[in-house]
Amino acid sequence: MTKVITKEDLLSWLRQLAEKYTVVAPVTSNGVTLYESISGSEVDKIDLSFSNTELSPKNLFFPPTEALFTIVQNERPEIIPAKVDREAIIFGVRPCDARGIALIDKAFLAEPADGFYKEKREKTTLVGLACSAPCPECFCTSVGSSPADPTHVDLLLIPTEAGYITQIVTDKCKQLLMGAPVKEAEAVQPSLPSLKSVPAEGITEVMSKVFNDPYWDRVADRCVHCNICAYVCPCCYCFDIRDYVSKGKIERVRSWESCQSAGFTRIAGGYDPRSTKGSRLRQRWYHKLLYFPEQFGDIKCTGCGRCVRSCPVNIDIREIINDVQRMRA
Amino acid sequence: MINEIRNKAKELLEKKRVECVIGYERATDGLTARPAFIYDPSEVDRLIFDETCVHNLSRFLIDKKHKATAIVAKPCDSRGINLLLNESQLKRENLFIIGVVCSGVKKVRFNQIEDSLQNKCQYCPQHVPSVYDFLVGEPVTETASRNYAEVTAIEDMTSADRKLFWAEHFDRCIRCYGCRQVCMGCYCYECFVDELDPLWAGIRIASSENRMWNTMRAFHLAGRCISCGECERVCPVNIPLMLLNRKLEKDTVHLFDFEPGINAETTPPFATFKKGEDLGISK
Amino acid sequence: MTSVNPFIPNSATLIKVTDLTYDIKLLNLQLEDPVLRENFDYKPGQFGFLSAYGIGEAPFGFVSLAYRKAGIEFAVRRIGTVTAALHELEPGATIGVRGPFGNYFPLDNYRGKNIIIIGGGIGMAPLRPVINFILDHRADYGDFLIINGARSPRDLVFANEFDTWAQAAITKVELCVDRCDDKWQGRVALVPDVITQLKPSPVNAIAITCGPPIMIRFALARLKELGFGNEQIVTTLEQKMKCGLGKCARCNVGDKYVCKDGPVFTFEQISKFIEQF
Repeated sequence: MTKVITKEDLLSWLRQLAEKYTVVAPVTSNGVTLYESISGSEVDKIDLSFSNTELSPKNLFFPPTEALFTIVQNERPEIIPAKVDREAIIFGVRPCDARGIALIDKAFLAEPADGFYKEKREKTTLVGLACSAPCPECFCTSVGSSPADPTHVDLLLIPTEAGYITQIVTDKCKQLLMGAPVKEAEAVQPSLPSLKSVPAEGITEVMSKVFNDPYWDRVADRCVHCNICAYVCPCCYCFDIRDYVSKGKIERVRSWESCQSAGFTRIAGGYDPRSTKGSRLRQRWYHKLLYFPEQFGDIKCTGCGRCVRSCPVNIDIREIINDVQRMRA
Repeated sequence: MINEIRNKAKELLEKKRVECVIGYERATDGLTARPAFIYDPSEVDRLIFDETCVHNLSRFLIDKKHKATAIVAKPCDSRGINLLLNESQLKRENLFIIGVVCSGVKKVRFNQIEDSLQNKCQYCPQHVPSVYDFLVGEPVTETASRNYAEVTAIEDMTSADRKLFWAEHFDRCIRCYGCRQVCMGCYCYECFVDELDPLWAGIRIASSENRMWNTMRAFHLAGRCISCGECERVCPVNIPLMLLNRKLEKDTVHLFDFEPGINAETTPPFATFKKGEDLGISK
Repeated sequence: MTSVNPFIPNSATLIKVTDLTYDIKLLNLQLEDPVLRENFDYKPGQFGFLSAYGIGEAPFGFVSLAYRKAGIEFAVRRIGTVTAALHELEPGATIGVRGPFGNYFPLDNYRGKNIIIIGGGIGMAPLRPVINFILDHRADYGDFLIINGARSPRDLVFANEFDTWAQAAITKVELCVDRCDDKWQGRVALVPDVITQLKPSPVNAIAITCGPPIMIRFALARLKELGFGNEQIVTTLEQKMKCGLGKCARCNVGDKYVCKDGPVFTFEQISKFIEQF
């Protein structure tokens, strides 16, 4: 006998939670599934049959744009730090995406910690949803995760015939579960779907040897240097900071940017150490497969497959890893 | 068909007539195509051509401006080449265009090739490329005419409804600039949106700036967009960008009787100044 | 719980502005909070971010010495939107300061050694506090050679301090320009050529250099020709920065983040960089 919550009970529980918390869940419209803030009356909009969202839940902690602080021009300029007002629940986080958030934590919470980001993390509960039907591009099992990995969520729901098995992971969700309609039932955890494996083992070491290989320029031929791969990625976190003046106040805004865009490393005066397409493309793979693991111990990839699906020209991290491993010889 | 492309590519590379052949090869899903850059005659067997070859390869000519390059060109891609030639971005003598007679590119969804054509092919009036040095496939007489039904549907909305329609779409925009980067018409060294002084939209990703970005890009392409549909295809959040571009195309055809990319000689209306020109707006 | 937001600058008042050249100004600031003002410590080599409110931030090396308690100084060259805004400020204005960031020149380790400073253009800015530190502790260091070059006489930075430097014991100041004007009486040469001409000895010596990347590369080559080892040559690198905290993943040269692992690096370290700076 395991603790199970039926689909109907799950929705009514979320309806209740939406009265006290900001509830964010996957909603499909216009052909894309995105995390949206839903009110109690909108709970039926949640798409429980989604495979994965187009954009990852990192948006809730690291949004495309946010004001870090505001400056009000009194006698002297007064700085007003941004505040975190809401207690939030993100429902329907896939294990790969939860791992993505944990990877961003490694960078943002390293000393000196980004206190604003930290507060958002502390005030958010992650309710994970194990995968029953991964996408063909998924390879989470090759990079340290799995379709039912509970590691980085607070509560994991595992879909079964009898309902969702509720697996408590951290104390955070115990408060939420009090009074939730969870029942004891016979529920068989489905066997994990198998994923094609990608030879990521030992990739960091090989990467350190092939930096100057012309391979990177060849792949860069078809790269158009948009920002799609970094923006859909659950663990990419490059950003830009600039001031905005509007309606009489100044906001210091942090926005997404990616190492792919031309001018990412260009300084005033024109000097640009990564002016070539090949050097910028190479930076992406090296950050993911060498620099980040050297700094923080893990490959900066969760195997979610989004970049593979979204890249306009089929630059495929699985192919890159395979090609680099072959270059070892 | 593919053998003709491969043989021609091999010949061009062996004779060193070109340094690179830009074509298509099989993508990692084993099903669709992706752009290919062939530098060695021994690699021409990588080239493929089928109904999944959706990309506008003329975009890549911008990175190869001063190099002798061959390119596999569908009709839409050939219109892109003409635009770049007209705007002096390419030299005709550097190009060898392997034109391909095209019956349309199919939609691919959930890793399956569907029966229906891509949106852009449904309203494309061309089967034979506008410019080529070597033609693969049997030329056919063009019978299709321009069709703007989905544009008229938006024009018929009330102003308030149209505002809501676009707000819902632009709010999803994450300013990845995928639309800009795949576009062969967007080749400015510094895009207006990256300018900080004066500040147009800048780095903030929010409703007002997104609206400015998407509409301004469409205006900068008015009379220049050749309807390859790539911007709409690559958008990760499904913004129907071609509605904007085609609206401006419809207006350009109506006001100036001008269709972009048909040849390399006719300059787009907004790059043309004619003294005493009647713009026909009073009609 | 108040979150500590490391992006929030400290307010400072601009006390004095001095023109160093036609496009470089020396800004002298004082932090507004008295406790912070008393405790704000930084060492030569470190950098801070200056905020021009309404435009943004940019990184600048400290050019003053904290222990002298004569204000926090930065040399700002007008070259982009932030620096243009900083150039518009007048004494009394509020500037935001974040820092100190990065590592610093290990000047204590160089005691007893002969020091050669090689600076080009605005590269003299982060070297000025090094020079002043050595002059303040003159007896602790050996021979002192300062090579300072610029494109033209009007581009020489800290020209008003050259005489003070030259007056110190066993200290030589050698100036050079790429192009001279009617009034210039001194050397017309590129910095790397001056290094070769002067032939500083590598014995018990440390060379500290800063300038445009191309100057650094050529200076390095000439010093190597004279017998300097990689660990004897130190520089400070500049890259585009936004956060200064190692979080925006932008300023890295290979796996080294200039804001956290640098900006001061020896050439021994740089020779191991996987990526060229």
